[in-house]
Amino acid sequence: MTRLMTGVALTAAAALMLTGCGRTDGPAGTNESKGAIDDGPATGEITVWAMGNEGEVLDQLAAKFEDENPDVTVNVTAVPWESAHDRIATSIAGGETPDVSMLGTTWVGEFAATGALEPTPEGLVNPSDFFEGSWGTAVVDDVAYGVPWYVDTRVLYYRTDLAEKAGVEAPTTWDEYKTFAQALKDQGAKSGVSLPPGGFDSWQYIAPLAWQDGGDILSPDGSEFTFDTPAWKNAFEFYNSFFEEGIAEPTRFETGEIEQEFIDGTVGSFFSGPFHVGLLREQGGEDFADKFAVAQVPGESSRTSFTGGGNLAVFNDSENRDASWKFVRWLSEPETQIEWYGISTDLPSTQAAFEDPQFADDPYLSVFAEQLADSKAPPAIPTWAQVSAVIDQELEKVTRGDTTVDDAIATIQDQATSIGTGN
Amino acid sequence: MSAVATPTLTKARRSALTPRPKIWLYVVLALGFVAMIFPFIWMILGSFKTNAEIRANPLGFLPEAATLDNYTQLFGRLDFATYFTNSVVVAVSVTVGNIIFSSMVGYALAKLQFRGKKILFALVLGTLMVPGVVTFVPLFVLTSNLGLVNSYPGLILPFLITPLGVFLMRQFISGLPDDIIEAARIDGASEWRIFARVIMPLCGPAVATLTILTFLGSWNNFLWPLVVATSEEKYTLPVALALYSVGQNAAQYGLMMAGAVVVVIPVLLVFVVLQRYFVQGIALTGIK
Amino acid sequence: MTTAAAVRKGSRAGRQTLIAWGFAAPFLVLFVVFMAGPIIASFVMSFTDLTTRDLRSPFNVNVIGLDNYVRLFQDERFVHSLLNTGVFVLVGVPLTMALAMLVALALNTGITKFRTVFRVGYYAPVVTSIVAIAIVWRFILQPDGLLNGFLGWFGIQGPNWLEDTFWALPSLIMMAVWRNIGTLMVIFLAGLQGVPKEHHEAAMMDGANAVQRFGNVTLPAMRPTVLFAAVITGIGFLQFFEEPFVMTRGGPLDATLSTAMYTFNQFGFGNYSYASAASYVLFLAIVVLSLIQFRLLKKED
Repeated sequence: MTRLMTGVALTAAAALMLTGCGRTDGPAGTNESKGAIDDGPATGEITVWAMGNEGEVLDQLAAKFEDENPDVTVNVTAVPWESAHDRIATSIAGGETPDVSMLGTTWVGEFAATGALEPTPEGLVNPSDFFEGSWGTAVVDDVAYGVPWYVDTRVLYYRTDLAEKAGVEAPTTWDEYKTFAQALKDQGAKSGVSLPPGGFDSWQYIAPLAWQDGGDILSPDGSEFTFDTPAWKNAFEFYNSFFEEGIAEPTRFETGEIEQEFIDGTVGSFFSGPFHVGLLREQGGEDFADKFAVAQVPGESSRTSFTGGGNLAVFNDSENRDASWKFVRWLSEPETQIEWYGISTDLPSTQAAFEDPQFADDPYLSVFAEQLADSKAPPAIPTWAQVSAVIDQELEKVTRGDTTVDDAIATIQDQATSIGTGN
Repeated sequence: MSAVATPTLTKARRSALTPRPKIWLYVVLALGFVAMIFPFIWMILGSFKTNAEIRANPLGFLPEAATLDNYTQLFGRLDFATYFTNSVVVAVSVTVGNIIFSSMVGYALAKLQFRGKKILFALVLGTLMVPGVVTFVPLFVLTSNLGLVNSYPGLILPFLITPLGVFLMRQFISGLPDDIIEAARIDGASEWRIFARVIMPLCGPAVATLTILTFLGSWNNFLWPLVVATSEEKYTLPVALALYSVGQNAAQYGLMMAGAVVVVIPVLLVFVVLQRYFVQGIALTGIK
Repeated sequence: MTTAAAVRKGSRAGRQTLIAWGFAAPFLVLFVVFMAGPIIASFVMSFTDLTTRDLRSPFNVNVIGLDNYVRLFQDERFVHSLLNTGVFVLVGVPLTMALAMLVALALNTGITKFRTVFRVGYYAPVVTSIVAIAIVWRFILQPDGLLNGFLGWFGIQGPNWLEDTFWALPSLIMMAVWRNIGTLMVIFLAGLQGVPKEHHEAAMMDGANAVQRFGNVTLPAMRPTVLFAAVITGIGFLQFFEEPFVMTRGGPLDATLSTAMYTFNQFGFGNYSYASAASYVLFLAIVVLSLIQFRLLKKED
């Protein structure tokens, strides 16, 4: 008897919950900004979430903001990087969001779709102040959510001593690139260039190739995927040819492994962001600093590279949006960004900041600045993580010889279309 | 039950009960021991190496330039006392709660006859079998609605009584002979008295096991404190340590190992202290 | 039975019921509040199309019935993950249990010295940081690592364990077994204490040797413990996640993709209801396995 009743009760409860369900078409949450932000000082209290290294050192910078705005208190909470995504998602679900949070560039699309982020107020910042690819990461459906904070991009790191011996210079075109890598290999490197043979995040290495050949991920109006195009086909074939021709070993390196290989000369060149400059000098020692350099990535119709970084967003549920946006605006000013570089070594997202001598005169940073002007990010769509996983998977199959480039491209196009753009 | 007269064992037979040490067994166990403890030793040694050394020579054993840097960094940068205290408060509360409450339910399921017993047991097991990850978000929404986010109750309550604890105690207690309980009942003891005075004292090994498993689980719990503790003052140790796992885009192995060693010490302490209870036998003779 | 005795028996049963539920009350309160709600909610969610965009308005979703479940079985990656998980469990659970039992026996009755040292040592993998374990095991399993070096002594050319679509899963099984022996050893050691010495003595009086005593005295007395061990190990292995996550990320080409990891990925993509459905498929597998184990190992009361 009791068992029957319990069963009925449970079913009734479930049915009740389900009848309450039903998607109403239309955007989730408001898409309108809540008004412009004035120029007065910031007041009150705000909570800011920041990940990793940024989380650790941001309070140094925040102290300065508090000096300039005596009535405001900025509470910085450091959040571990790898789990920050889950933490933000659950906080949105439970209505426990902070005022401001740092976001990975690829998360903006996803979280904007929940309606939890407030659109950037009109006039807060001037979009053209930022690098184009970088600003694009904050825009979802033509509305900007938050502001890019710092950026990174990938350039080519290569062994200058090996290149010199081989008589080659940093490549500018695909042909030169292949010759270059082959030459480094002839000088004794096991991999003339280190490329991941598919698998997790390998899309970051192949998407730029497609961009360099004039292709893209989405059509210009953002309505459909464009993987089934010659640019992507060329990208895949070119990428795979490095393995087929034995110029690159199909080895995956974990974080922290490639530095030693590069220093040993096992790897002749590789693609990475600005942080490797410091790492290589630290690990390679004094002498090694002369043996490597960075260069803009080689390309075909363009020398486009991949850009990522971190953005700042303000949440709709914030109880102090005024101070929140003021803090965000302050962080994007060139002077603050230059100071932030000093504290964190994160590259500024505003182009003006790079005119500062410490960037313009530095042999490494000036290359990064140049590359940033021609860098793209993946589209800010909520489904990107899932679509990119398909690319990773198919690329691995191609490099293992389990499928042809044509089949792989077709599969990616099919699956991406069925996953959709989330709009 | 009156003691049965047991014929005395001859010396030869008694020594067969506790056999003389077999050398081959020691050797085999020792080999296994090395295999088991190898990464653990590496972890400890690694905590005294610099990040660079670990990267350059991942499996080198002894540190070339032993350094306390990782530890000074850890204690210096981290507000260690706070995180440690939080972890202790949570883990101890959860463990004590389980020892008391899970045992109660376990006893009821093992030795009492009552209506709905099967349903209760099915409920316990069912909860055990649901993959934890799936209830995560709804649980957080619930916790937030109860106003328990960023609080000790929020960290503790969902784990105060675990199905695993109930199941474990139920299994162990069901292995205890019924006669003791019957004897106590005949003597007029209340159920609570039977539970507290008769059953629990016999559960030494079970409680020791429960303590170890629960403490370990709670101490190392990462995901739940990560989302419930929204401000750093409520972070538990694993969450705080994760802040340093990826710094400057390169894994800081030395620092991570130092963190791992620090996290492991309390658990090992609990284990070492409690494992002697694994040799508590049950003497049946002489029980009145 | 006399009426008086029947009444006494009835009221005793009634009293016991009340007391039993009294004992269970704290559990029930916490269960209803913290477990029942989320479980029902997530189960219901698996019949909708809830994704990240619905986090703030979870009732604004469409009910799509069994759609998620159907799509799951149409996804070859999911089916592959089920197969991987199945192999993992069928090989890993008995292996872990057998080895742990042997170790527990050895430590309990086989040797007398260094017991504490051995106990701590065999438990060490359970508490060692997964990062440290991953680094060491990766080194062991490298193409030019310890394992292949060892096999080389016997003239065997070992494969690239973690990158080989056939050998990756067995490698992880080996790692998981190694890691979990400690927990089971602890449980079995505790369980062995519950085997009355008198029974052993009686058996020896009857001339039984060690193996016979194990089979006829120890094992039957340890049935509840073994059942417990089998169920929780089964549950643990069915949900195996950490090993593939840190060692291979589910590769190469999904050779080590576990269902739990597939679910985790889907949660990461924001496909919450789809991931819920995958979890409940796993739940079903856990229930089935446990039922089988209960059938085989239940103690006759």
